Amino acid sequence: MRANFIFSEVWIGLRRNLTMTIAVIVTVAVGMALLGIGLMINSQVSSMTSYWTDKVELSVFLCKKDDVFPSCKNKPPLTDEQKAALKQTIGGMPEVERVDFEDQAQAYKNFQAQQGNSLLLSVVQPDDLPESFRVKLKDPNNATAVTESITGQAGVSNIVNQREILDTYFGFLGKLRNMALGVAILMVFAATLLIGNTVRLSAYNRRRETGIMRLVGASNIYIQLPFVMEGVIAGLIGGVFAAVLLIVTKILLFEGIQTYMAIPLGWNTVAGVITFTMAVGVVICVLASFVTLRRYLRV
Amino acid sequence: MSPPPRLACRDAPVIHFDNVTKVYTNQNRPALDHVSVDVDKGEFVFLVGPSGSGKSTFLRLVLKEERPNSGAIHVAGKDLSRLSNFKVPHLRRRIGCVFQDFRLLPNKNVYENVAFALEVIGKPRRFIRKVVPEVIELVGLEGKAHRMPDELSGGEQQRVAMARAFVNRPMILLADEPTGNIDPATSIGIMKVLDRINRTGTTVLMATHDAAIVDSMRKRVVELEDGKIVRDQSRGVYGQAY
Repeated sequence: MRANFIFSEVWIGLRRNLTMTIAVIVTVAVGMALLGIGLMINSQVSSMTSYWTDKVELSVFLCKKDDVFPSCKNKPPLTDEQKAALKQTIGGMPEVERVDFEDQAQAYKNFQAQQGNSLLLSVVQPDDLPESFRVKLKDPNNATAVTESITGQAGVSNIVNQREILDTYFGFLGKLRNMALGVAILMVFAATLLIGNTVRLSAYNRRRETGIMRLVGASNIYIQLPFVMEGVIAGLIGGVFAAVLLIVTKILLFEGIQTYMAIPLGWNTVAGVITFTMAVGVVICVLASFVTLRRYLRV
Repeated sequence: MSPPPRLACRDAPVIHFDNVTKVYTNQNRPALDHVSVDVDKGEFVFLVGPSGSGKSTFLRLVLKEERPNSGAIHVAGKDLSRLSNFKVPHLRRRIGCVFQDFRLLPNKNVYENVAFALEVIGKPRRFIRKVVPEVIELVGLEGKAHRMPDELSGGEQQRVAMARAFVNRPMILLADEPTGNIDPATSIGIMKVLDRINRTGTTVLMATHDAAIVDSMRKRVVELEDGKIVRDQSRGVYGQAY
């Protein structure tokens, strides 16, 4: 096998179909970048899910003085004994692992930490914040039973399952990921058709050469390899552009929202995603070339 | 003492058609109809007959570009029905081909056109540099190695095509109307090259309409008509009636 012969053929082929080659490169780049972004979101979501799953708690808020919650209407706040009793009740449930009491001072501290220097902080006083029980469950998936039995208890204003807040957020990320993957699939489909067309044009342009190659007994691989290599090279260039897009995405998007994520997306994940998308791009190009060659280059 | 038995391979014909029938799809009449013929090593055979008589089909069957509907074909000692597609290129390396329309690559010069046939079968560059000038000389194009095809006359272009067909020293040379696009005076030169190639031991099988050439060469003539062999004469002429 003479490499320089193959490469000169590949170079001629790519140059002759320059516009088609550019179209292939752009489609592969965008398709692979979207696929990569989908994968990056996916890895972010799954790492965050596992991080948060053993940290989510139920917040059982207690009625404070003159509370406006319907369940607290016209009822005095619980006495210390009643709170202790309620804590006992909650702690006695089989699903519950641990119960902690958060008083108003502690709640204000946490609120300060969350809000930083916002305007809201300046108007909220420690007295405005409710006391609460932080309930840690053995299995975060079994929240309903616990919630239902606590809801009826006297002195409880409302219950917030932190998991539901996370779920909304993860749901949003999931939709983003599905969109990226959906568009990626469309782009991959378009890329496949484009590569097919490029190879067909290329085969037509070189029908004299391939005809002679067939006659003088060149082996199939010698005849087909230049066409496949054209696809591979266009796919690789597209993959490089996709890699650049993914790195830019990581820097601009993922680093920007990193403060809200407990676990930032690591560069090794990005590298893995880039390798994978490049491999996918090249494999698609090779397959599309081979399938088209079977139809347009009878050997 | 009895003479030693001759080796079977020496006797085996280079091309062997046994009762070969070829019917193209969507056609009722067979292109070749129960054709049996043997061509021995080193023979020069004219394949004559009107258009549509099956000459081209015959050549395509030898190259395994088509498969027969029935009958057996052996080429260069290989049973083509048992030859896998994977090995067809190796068969074709032993067969050179020349056509009416030359089929040169217009963007390559004479040397490159001939070298192309060796490059694509993976021959080393040193070998190519050695044999290509020899073949260019054999076909009478010395000094024109760097001309482009459009700078050559039709006869010269056909010589390039013959050099390309012969450069790998094939066992068989198939020529499909090689003089069809060339005036009679130039055709004589082409025939001399084919004769020279034949003298190296290469079997030459030439399909032609050119009565003058067939008559002047006095070689074996196989005549096809409606897919049947109607005449097979050694040292024959084009027309039957003479």
